[in-house]
Amino acid sequence: MIKVCIKDKQIKITGHAMYDDYGKDIVCASVSSIVTTSVNLALRFNDKSLNYNYNDETLTIDILSNDEIIKTVILNMLELLKELSKKYKQNIIVNEEV
Amino acid sequence: MSLKFMELDIQLFAHKKGQGSTKNGRDSESKRLGAKAADGQFVTGGSILYRQRGTRIYPGVNVGIGKDDTLFAKIPGVVKFERVGRDKKQVSVYPKEA
Repeated sequence: MIKVCIKDKQIKITGHAMYDDYGKDIVCASVSSIVTTSVNLALRFNDKSLNYNYNDETLTIDILSNDEIIKTVILNMLELLKELSKKYKQNIIVNEEV
Repeated sequence: MSLKFMELDIQLFAHKKGQGSTKNGRDSESKRLGAKAADGQFVTGGSILYRQRGTRIYPGVNVGIGKDDTLFAKIPGVVKFERVGRDKKQVSVYPKEA
């Protein structure tokens, strides 16, 4: 299961969707596409808007900018991931830590 | 300064080692071998009695064998499956008593 943890200005995405075999896992493909599109879009607006790091099968995104556009891009990403987690409860979960 | 975009790997969150595909899953068309006439059944001349690979059953009285080992009736008559020796079988066709 993919776990998306949101805490203050940091997002951690870790785990495996386990929906299907490698190469056929549509849930993984959706999460990867949503996240990659959002991160790259934010960087195109402002290449100092965030920082990301991927290792040990965990993607960590640190939001560095308070800009409205960047906030909207990240908010859109999280809403899409939440929507996905409603449909694929066994494969992805989104936690917001306040 | 080059923008540091995320590379799009749509299986980023899939478990890495995909299951190897099986090498099986093939089969030839079934050839519907076996008996085509029952013991005690009346058949016309030329009727196929038994389809086989090799001679599981041997041709008996009034029965011919084709090049693919198919057994067929040479005359109209009643089919008889008979035991020959300890472990051999044959099929014969006997003309119906008038």
